[in-house]
Order: sequence, then structure tokens, then C-alpha cells
Amino acid sequence: MSDTILPTVGTPERTRKVYERAVYAIFVIAIAGLLAGLVFDQEYAGTVIYLVGVWLGAGLAYLLPKWSEVRFYDERDEELSRRASGLAMSVAFVVGLGVVPALYALEAAGQLTITPTMWGAIYAASALYLVWGICYTVVARRI
Amino acid sequence: MDNDLPGRREAQNLSQGELAEAVDVTRQTINAIERDRYDPSLDLAFELASHFDCRIEDIFDPSGNGDEPQ
Repeated sequence: MSDTILPTVGTPERTRKVYERAVYAIFVIAIAGLLAGLVFDQEYAGTVIYLVGVWLGAGLAYLLPKWSEVRFYDERDEELSRRASGLAMSVAFVVGLGVVPALYALEAAGQLTITPTMWGAIYAASALYLVWGICYTVVARRI
Repeated sequence: MDNDLPGRREAQNLSQGELAEAVDVTRQTINAIERDRYDPSLDLAFELASHFDCRIEDIFDPSGNGDEPQ
């Protein structure tokens, strides 16, 4: 696959911004389409717009760096992503460990009822920890 | 880690963007290095040293305090 399928737009900096904004715009349109579908009782159409937009945006985000001679991400971006992910997981762990047991205790004491929405959040967080643990194990085996 | 990147870049009359392009990183990365906000990888440090035709330790001073990057 050629490295120069996509044309540059002025400077590399300008090219990077143009393509990044294009990808962000696709994501925004996808999310707006989903919300509009929900608001106007067009859930199916909204879902289709969302899925097409998200897959298109994700695909472009993956392929643009391969199709362009301009570097879209470099080592600092990867470092930023690593740090942000680590921080987000730290916050999730602290909140999970600090809040969830307290919720169980309060419910057992009859002071609180854990709603289905809260259960959903607890399950989602638990799934996130599980996925993180699996990913960590996989990555650790490679380093 | 302190570094002499701004001086060497300006001595060659290069903008941050031009240097970034020369060593294949983004301008923001060069800016972050120059402001002691980010320590480059070994690969990038070698790339910069090669660009300026000097040794890594001529550009970077590991004993410098910097702004506690990383």
C-alpha cells in the first residue's frame, strides 16, 4: 500500500489537523445522528447512522496514518495515551474500590437500594477491570 | 532532563515544525522536548543527535532538573 495515497494539505501540521478534524466530524455526526434518531423516534435510522459513522471514523483513524506521508501520531501521543489510560483506570479502581463496597453495605443496612442503573454501572466497571486485566496480561507477555 | 535543542535548532534556522518534519515527529513533540515537558525515546534522541551531527549527551543533560517530565 502506498504511503502517499492521500494528498497533503499545505504543511504536515495543517494536513494533520485537516484529517483529524475530518475524523472528529464523522464521530460527531454519528453521535448526533443517534441522538436525533432517539429524539424523533427514528431509532433504527439513528442506529444505522451511528454505526456507519463510528466504523467509518474508526477505520479512517486507523488507515489515514497508513495512507498519508504525514505522521499523525508519534511517540509523545502514545505516551499521552498511556498516561491518560493509566490515570483513567486508577480513578476507576479508586472509585470502584471506595464506593461499590459501601453501596453493598448501605443496601444490606437498609439505607440504600441499588437500582438497576447502578447495578449496570457496577457490572460495566467490573467488566472494564476484567478487560484491563486481560489486556495487561497479554501486553506483559510481550515485554 | 535539560536540553540544548532550542539553541541547536535556531542555529540551523529551523522552525519547530521543520525540525519535527526532519526527524519524523509532530511539532508538539519538539515543543514539549524544548520546554522540558517530555523526554524523548532513545530512538528519537538518536535521530536528533544524527540530525545535528553530534552525540546525544551534547543535546541532552541527564543531570539537569528540567521540569520533572515523565
